Amino acid sequence: MLLEVRDLHVEFRTRDGIARAVNGVTYGVDAGETLAVLGESGSGKSVTAQAVMGILDTPPGRITGGEILFQGRDLLKLKEEERRKVRGAEMAMIFQDALSSLNPVVCVGDQLGEMFVVHRGMGKKDARARAVELMDQVRIPGAKERVKDYPHQFSGGMRQRIMIAMAIALEPALIIADEPTTALDVTVQAQVMDLLAELQREYHMGLILITHDLGVVADVADRIAVMYAGRIVESAPVHDLYKAPAHPYTRGLLDSIPRLDQKGQELYAIKGLPPNLMHIPSGCAFHPRCPMARDVCRTDVPPPYEVSEDRASACHFWRECLDG
Amino acid sequence: MAELSKNDEQQDATPNVSEVEVVDAHSETEAVAAIEAPVERGEPILQVRNLQKHFPLTQGILFKRQIGAVKAVDGVSFDLHQGETLGIVGESGCGKSTVAKLLMNLERPTAGEIFYKGQDITKLSGRALKAVRRNIQMVFQDPYTSLNPRMTVGDIIGEPFDIHPEVAPKGDRRRKVQELLDVVGLNPEYINRYPHQFSGGQRQRIGIARGLALNPEIIICDEPVSALDVSVQAQVINLMEKLQDEFNLSYIFIAHDLSIVRHISDRVGVMYLGKMAEIGTDTQIYDHPTHPYTQALLSAVPVPDPDAREHRERIILTGDVPSPANPPSGCRFRTRCWKAQDKCAEEVPLLAVPERFQGSDTPAAHESACHFAEEKDVVHAA
Repeated sequence: MLLEVRDLHVEFRTRDGIARAVNGVTYGVDAGETLAVLGESGSGKSVTAQAVMGILDTPPGRITGGEILFQGRDLLKLKEEERRKVRGAEMAMIFQDALSSLNPVVCVGDQLGEMFVVHRGMGKKDARARAVELMDQVRIPGAKERVKDYPHQFSGGMRQRIMIAMAIALEPALIIADEPTTALDVTVQAQVMDLLAELQREYHMGLILITHDLGVVADVADRIAVMYAGRIVESAPVHDLYKAPAHPYTRGLLDSIPRLDQKGQELYAIKGLPPNLMHIPSGCAFHPRCPMARDVCRTDVPPPYEVSEDRASACHFWRECLDG
Repeated sequence: MAELSKNDEQQDATPNVSEVEVVDAHSETEAVAAIEAPVERGEPILQVRNLQKHFPLTQGILFKRQIGAVKAVDGVSFDLHQGETLGIVGESGCGKSTVAKLLMNLERPTAGEIFYKGQDITKLSGRALKAVRRNIQMVFQDPYTSLNPRMTVGDIIGEPFDIHPEVAPKGDRRRKVQELLDVVGLNPEYINRYPHQFSGGQRQRIGIARGLALNPEIIICDEPVSALDVSVQAQVINLMEKLQDEFNLSYIFIAHDLSIVRHISDRVGVMYLGKMAEIGTDTQIYDHPTHPYTQALLSAVPVPDPDAREHRERIILTGDVPSPANPPSGCRFRTRCWKAQDKCAEEVPLLAVPERFQGSDTPAAHESACHFAEEKDVVHAA
């Protein structure tokens, strides 16, 4: 395993109390593999990624337990200096909003070149040359002329390509992409996802794709982990999960999206609202919204039951759910 | 200008755009009477003809001169029938939100007409305009910024009654607001709460209740669910469909999510760079698209089915949408189109049933603004 997150817990101390954002997340990703982490807002998918990257805001955030093993080392035990060498060079992150992630007053050439100056000790001129190469690689037309342009002079799709260029600059082993195409139009989204998949193949990188879009997941992922209220409720190879979900939340999500290829009847809607992280329901956090909930769901937290060799579901009644 | 009017004539000749029956109202009272008159189900209630909105681009501070214009909407025509949902899809910058603002009379069009029951609303004023405004309401995209944080839910939903007191007399308002809360599935006892006490989906319900307050006939929804989580989206979409049946509403549903638009719409129009590229029923557009842009757009939508990955053809467009300040000559899509030929640069394709499909009753026979329109199924796996 390239990266293994084990029983990670993260909480945020706020004025109103403690928000438990991540409550025992375990997942792993291999080199060359794409793991999709699917969840709605507040499910803890981004917070987990921030903890892995070591960019969690502390305080108010706090990692209260767990391990993050990257190439065998526990990142949580490293000193900040050592951590900084890992970040960017060995694992990199792509954010949703490229415009606010890039520095508006520094030209893109310098922002890309900075990677080489800081991590590789290159001179400014060499770094600039590498920046142009990178921009070519992510297929930004006229890279040589545009290297001195500022972020606002690029379109949304092009800015996201610059983010990707920055992420792959030092050829990291792992890339975490947090909703990389959510802000983009569909035709541009397809271009960017294609580029990302191609680069992943080329460099044999592990990719963690954080998204709420079941369509994007089906398109690119090998494995999928579904998160709800800071826990992974189901993890499975992507084909198995879409064929027969083993958790009622996953089933509800799949049934609630309208289809492009057929005109459906009334949409299935998961009743109720996502949970408040200050007051996560007892037992299984999904039980107030679950059509299959019984007494045991209110009291016992479901462990990850093994559905098959590479598949797990945190539902007491996964067998029933699997059978439909 | 001469070319434009010719353009207009030909667009009006197409089947999806019906003849406008202009109601000749000499006085304001007659105009109001025409607006209040009911429309049969399936009859056109809103007819948009060659609508244009150009925003001027100026240079200089003291002596401003116009150096060009952003052609946000550049000649759009369509009909909305009573009781139907017309979906409008397109990418950012295609002009779909500007169309919404024009229909709401929040922006004055540069040219073109919007007929509501035979009255051109762009030329109305006074009482007649007020009557139109009552009947066309809007639901906005962002439920966080479209509700005043310092007003209670009761005040937000009841505010339209201040302007149109004839709908709900003063003593009756509280009851009316509570009724509306109940209709959209919120607890009527929440009337004194503030917007921040609600979740995103609940806030969107408040926005819908406000839109319903004046018993409108048309609701224009600009990306009403795109800010919501998947599980909540379905709840709001179901609510909107229920309300449509209950109150006999006509919707214009503007969105960029093609799956949701298919689900809710009876007819769909695809916009590109200020123009309508293709318009037809949902089956015609999704299962039998003939415009290359529609095909590219549909093929780019990720489908929640991992098996489709290998079997679906993907059309990946190159480049970005050109600037609406300086759109390409001829067909606006030609710079990104794989079918483009010389003709496309010279001649603007008209929105009409392509010649090759005329007279036949295949689903491909719908209006498409392409010189080389050709049917291609891109949605279903081969």
